[in-house]
Amino acid sequence: MFPRPIEKSAPWVGIAYKVFLPIALILWLLPLIGIAITSVRPASDLASGNYFGMPSGFAFVENYSSVFKNSNIGWYILNSFRVTIPTVIGAVALSCLTGYALAVYKFKSNLFVFFLFVAGNFVPFQILAIPVRDLTLKMGLYDTMTGLVLFHVAFQTGFCTLFMRNFMKALPFALIESARVEGVNEFKIFWHIVLPLVRPAMAALAVLIFTFIWNDYFWATVMAQSADVRPVTAGMNELKGQYKVAWELISAAAIVAALPPVAMFFLMQKHFIAGLTLGATKG
Amino acid sequence: MATVTLKNAKKQFGAVEIIKGIDLSVADGEFCVFVGPSGCGKSTLLRMIAGLEDFTSGSLQIGGKEMAKVESADRGVAMVFQSYALYPHMTVKQNIGFGLKMTGHSLADIEGRTKRAADMLQLEPLLDRKPSQLSGGQRQRVAIGRAIVRNPEVFLFDEPLSNLDAALRVQMRIQIGKLHHDLKATMIYVTHDQVEAMTMADKIVVLHAGRIEQVGSPLELYHRPNNMFVAGFIGSPKMNFVNVEAGTGSSLKLPGGGTVKIDGMKAKLSGKLTLGIRPEHVELAKKTADANVSTVVRAAEYLGSETMFYVTLPDGTEAAVKADGLAKTQVGDTLLLHFPPKACHVFDPDGKTLHNGDLSK
Amino acid sequence: MAQTGVQPKPRGFWKTHQKTLAPWLFLAPGIAMFLLYVIFPIFESIWISFYQWDGLGPKTWVGLQNYRDLFADDSFYTSLKNNLIWLVLYLLAIPMGLTVALFLNQTVTGIRLYKSLFFFPFVISQVVVGLIFTWFYAPDFGLLPKLLQALTGSGKDFAVLADERYATLGVIAAGLWPQTAYCMILYLTGLNNINPEQVEAARMDNAKGLSMLWHIILPQLRPATFIAFVVTVIGALRSFDLISVMTLGGPYGSTRVLSYFMFEQALSEYGTAMGYGAAIAVVLFAIMLVFITIFIVRMLSQERNS
Repeated sequence: MFPRPIEKSAPWVGIAYKVFLPIALILWLLPLIGIAITSVRPASDLASGNYFGMPSGFAFVENYSSVFKNSNIGWYILNSFRVTIPTVIGAVALSCLTGYALAVYKFKSNLFVFFLFVAGNFVPFQILAIPVRDLTLKMGLYDTMTGLVLFHVAFQTGFCTLFMRNFMKALPFALIESARVEGVNEFKIFWHIVLPLVRPAMAALAVLIFTFIWNDYFWATVMAQSADVRPVTAGMNELKGQYKVAWELISAAAIVAALPPVAMFFLMQKHFIAGLTLGATKG
Repeated sequence: MATVTLKNAKKQFGAVEIIKGIDLSVADGEFCVFVGPSGCGKSTLLRMIAGLEDFTSGSLQIGGKEMAKVESADRGVAMVFQSYALYPHMTVKQNIGFGLKMTGHSLADIEGRTKRAADMLQLEPLLDRKPSQLSGGQRQRVAIGRAIVRNPEVFLFDEPLSNLDAALRVQMRIQIGKLHHDLKATMIYVTHDQVEAMTMADKIVVLHAGRIEQVGSPLELYHRPNNMFVAGFIGSPKMNFVNVEAGTGSSLKLPGGGTVKIDGMKAKLSGKLTLGIRPEHVELAKKTADANVSTVVRAAEYLGSETMFYVTLPDGTEAAVKADGLAKTQVGDTLLLHFPPKACHVFDPDGKTLHNGDLSK
Repeated sequence: MAQTGVQPKPRGFWKTHQKTLAPWLFLAPGIAMFLLYVIFPIFESIWISFYQWDGLGPKTWVGLQNYRDLFADDSFYTSLKNNLIWLVLYLLAIPMGLTVALFLNQTVTGIRLYKSLFFFPFVISQVVVGLIFTWFYAPDFGLLPKLLQALTGSGKDFAVLADERYATLGVIAAGLWPQTAYCMILYLTGLNNINPEQVEAARMDNAKGLSMLWHIILPQLRPATFIAFVVTVIGALRSFDLISVMTLGGPYGSTRVLSYFMFEQALSEYGTAMGYGAAIAVVLFAIMLVFITIFIVRMLSQERNS
């Protein structure tokens, strides 16, 4: 292990480490902690300039209920789920298919197709925005959930294919060959052998794509206009304009908006990190 | 049951030729072992028979029917993989029945066949376990069971014992032998371990660099190798090779000035040659007069039942000698060796056999 | 699959061509979507960049005029300069992430929770990060001016985001926060996968501290470093959310980058210069293509070796 484990150092080093660790964490999360505390301050604190002292009261219920009552944030959060969940399902399903094709079959353009997906995954959004918005308009899907979801599914398929293909490629190929010798057809091999074995990869992708799409802001502004469609990221920015200096409310809204991906991360931490660090350990 | 015949089988990966024209016929019910060093093409050849690799050219007949372009599943073969290839998410029972289920066999049929295979391989107590709960030997048996239920005409084994420890390997060797006896099916078995080849095979095919070096029964290969490669590959420890020069008549001049006179030599000898003699056939000279060559002991292994001496000849050639367990010679001592003429093989400079000794004389 | 439907027996065409047709059947839906929404639009944008177009009416061919205009536009150079600053400063996330990872790569109780909490900023949307930092920088009551006040006795009214000199740096600092967390997690995984026997062998060879890090650890972390480099570069060039939330490109357009500049021109409420916007996007795409190529070439050589 590197660096040398603390237990093997002098006792005072261990104590110093354990003392410094929480301090470092507080410093690291200072902006977030600040926002969290602000979100439960009574409005009077901010008016009287008490931004950092002890809150004069605990206004959790007031602030948070005020945010839900006086803004569309509840609706926006629902919208975010309505965009995110179908995208996750669509992108994971499509990439299971593409990943399987690219991992298992040898054909001439295999690597070309694979790298098309990989490269497409890295292009700037701006090069896609005008034609994609135009296409969506022509399909009559502009400012609809479906329009937004279709694009997200297509774009995320790039990353998901990279991920799935590499995961499937690491499965023992003899499993597939063995099934072929036994006369199992290609679709049944996919369904009965490969899919059950890639469940961890599907979970990892699902949490990752959930976070990506939940946090998307660019496409939410480009493809959605009305409050019926607007996800919470775009909604937040609107709230910022609406509340101006009512920072206790902006903070509360920010915390609410951040909550679902944070919860997802804590629930599925192992899968999340496995997804993010894909490829970081091989080669 | 079926014969397997290969005619001028070739396989290229890109520009590299892996299999360079193989002609071979395996009789119905025969246990045939492909053996050779790693990279000789033995696994590729097996995978071509299985239908997992295409033929670049040539033909394959199984039971008299042309199969080189037929889908793997329709060849009537079953394969046992080196890694066992058990489906990790299925129980033993599901693993064994999976192929049958996917190809539309009735449940009763699957049940019956699974039971029969489980009986043969003592798998009943394991049927509901997952592969991860099995030991290496058990996994191996499940993999074989999966092959048996398909009632194949030909069984293919790809180094099936290489992941097992030595004791288990012996046990599985016997089990596969028994299976062959019971099923009387044609079996083709790939291994790099010549002991496995010698103990299991009816027929051994020695492969080297994509070609067949020799085909024959284990004892044929041991006693009558066609060339130096086979002579060196079959037998453990491997045969000693000594550089010699043809003398008068059928005598050979050894390093250090000694000679050996080969009886029954038919070929006419001349120039530089190689003499081959197995370590177990070299004798320690009892009298100086019997000695063909004087050597120095470099290392010695006292195993009790026998003693292995690793010696250096006067020209620096290294050789191994298997002596009886009571031999007391020490490292650094001189060891006088006697080469019994009937145990000597002679090879020409190209490695082809000019003469095989005949121990039965 | 349709082929089997009309055959009386499941043999025949499908059976014989199964292995050549199957991959394309598996690929079809994914490829169709990806071509429609990602690959074709790239070429369409390039094509649009040669037109003058308000997004609704007819397009007028103007050839390279959009590019000529662009190269004469001061805003373009400001954006380009800012992109470069983003790129360089964003790369600091890599050593910073490594430092945090080394600090946290211990086995004391509760360390797992610490690692998760350090990773926190990456999970939060950039919109929220932008809001948090806007508040952090807010003059008079923000945390940063307060800290400056406490430390130096002045700077209470220091407005980072309203100051042309510091605004871009302020936005980048906000971006470095989640990006460092990302690099940290990459390195933590990398450190976790280092063969401990190799580290012990190096210890017996008397390597320690920085020399150990440099000669033994870093070479083994190269795959992690490469991924960190790729995601950081792409992240820097894609920067949009933070600018949009924190400064709207201001003050006086001084925090614009190409992606935001393009948005302003073509996509925002008042932006109708599609051709001009497309030209900006093409330039940004060309810059990114350099990095994409580096990445693909390296991945390709990895594929060939395996």
